[in-house]
Amino acid sequence: MRDFQYLCDIQEVQEDKATIVQIGKRSIGVFKLNDGSIHALLNLCPHKGAALCEGPVCGTTKETNDYEFEYIQRNEIIRCAWHGWEFDIKTGEFIVDRKIKARKFLTEIKNQKVYIKLSS
Amino acid sequence: MFIVDCDCHNYWCDARVLEPYMDGLFKDMFVRGERTGPPGAFPHAHRPWFHPEGFARKDINPVNEDDNYLIMKEKHLDLHNIDIAILTGDEPIEVSTLANPYYASALCKAYNDYMIDYWIPKDPRFYGSIVVAPHDPIGAAEEIRRVGGHERVIQVLVSHGASRPYGDPFYHPIYEACHEMNLPFALHLGGQGGVNANPIGAGPTTFFWETHALLPQSAMTHMASLIAQGVFEKWNDLKVVIIECGVAWVPSVLWRLDANYKALRKETPWLKQLPSEYFKSNIRMSTQPLEQPADVRHLWATLEAMDGKNTLMFASDYPHWDYDAVNKINIPDDWKENIYGNNALEVYKKIKRQEKAA
Repeated sequence: MRDFQYLCDIQEVQEDKATIVQIGKRSIGVFKLNDGSIHALLNLCPHKGAALCEGPVCGTTKETNDYEFEYIQRNEIIRCAWHGWEFDIKTGEFIVDRKIKARKFLTEIKNQKVYIKLSS
Repeated sequence: MFIVDCDCHNYWCDARVLEPYMDGLFKDMFVRGERTGPPGAFPHAHRPWFHPEGFARKDINPVNEDDNYLIMKEKHLDLHNIDIAILTGDEPIEVSTLANPYYASALCKAYNDYMIDYWIPKDPRFYGSIVVAPHDPIGAAEEIRRVGGHERVIQVLVSHGASRPYGDPFYHPIYEACHEMNLPFALHLGGQGGVNANPIGAGPTTFFWETHALLPQSAMTHMASLIAQGVFEKWNDLKVVIIECGVAWVPSVLWRLDANYKALRKETPWLKQLPSEYFKSNIRMSTQPLEQPADVRHLWATLEAMDGKNTLMFASDYPHWDYDAVNKINIPDDWKENIYGNNALEVYKKIKRQEKAA
């Protein structure tokens, strides 16, 4: 838990959208996925600097070879509030070009509290 | 830097804000008539492509009518230190899709009165566009003369979706009125559907994103038509502003128009200049959504070919999904004064330039 600091209580974290927490100058989006895991992304889109985490949490379509629509990663995708770029909440990766990443932070849970490591 | 946003959408939550500005037959139609959506929907023919996520930015969530201004002020005007915002409405330009041009004109009249009454007084940075029904050119011209003299009404606005190209003499009464009232004529992306049946060449595309990328097709048609039909010879002081229709296509279309004109000018003996010269003197393009090639040099070479320093005007398209923030568009530094403000001040002479408060 070295370098980790308190972010929020786990019961504050919503499941259907990001919970936005201000910590110093940083705005952080905190997510609770269907498997109960907690994830934290910087609320700043690498595309144009928008409030990434204020967009909808949803799934997306799997790459297919035909006219098929397979909906995957239900509630594991954050769509940026402005231009709709899709990011994988677990990795911070932009779905179209995985080299582009939203800033992801390590989190730890202890006694129903979420801690975040802001330094990398 | 003095910043003019040439495309700032003043939303409503519910189109019934127009009711107090309507009367008689058309009020009956508005209140009790069929519309595309529940009570509060604005009457228009809808396009066959639905945006999969909706048009608005997801961080803009007004609950009541007054929120629309308060959120715009906080998240756009104040945040980006914008000096002037040109209001471009939102749904009203969709009246161009209605078959009944008289109902379309009545809706425009109500919107224009509402805009002048409700929006303009809210903020000294606001200047308004009056919306007209292009398929009712006589009614549109009357409307331009009725409200075009307002000190903070600065342009006439229609959708770029249209039932015929805007150079057609059918529309010329509108340009006569614009000339008389000294107002630019602007066309903004929209109006796909209803009587505007052919927004995409070769037939309707399937998906929203592919379609949206192709919508500038109609703007190419309008640009060629306005030039070829001699609109800028009849009204050589008329400025036409093309909003949200892309930019990078302009040089290639002008090159083609110039080449063809040089061979076949006899078809249009009323023209006295190359098409590209009419473009530079009379047409202005708004920047948003500015194309984003991987290598910005490719964009800048293209913008230079259309004299972008003098023909482009900054627009944000607040609060839409393809919004361009003031600090995020990629243009040469020595063009910025022009594109962010000076070019607009040349076009919109009614704007009173006031220096920013310290």
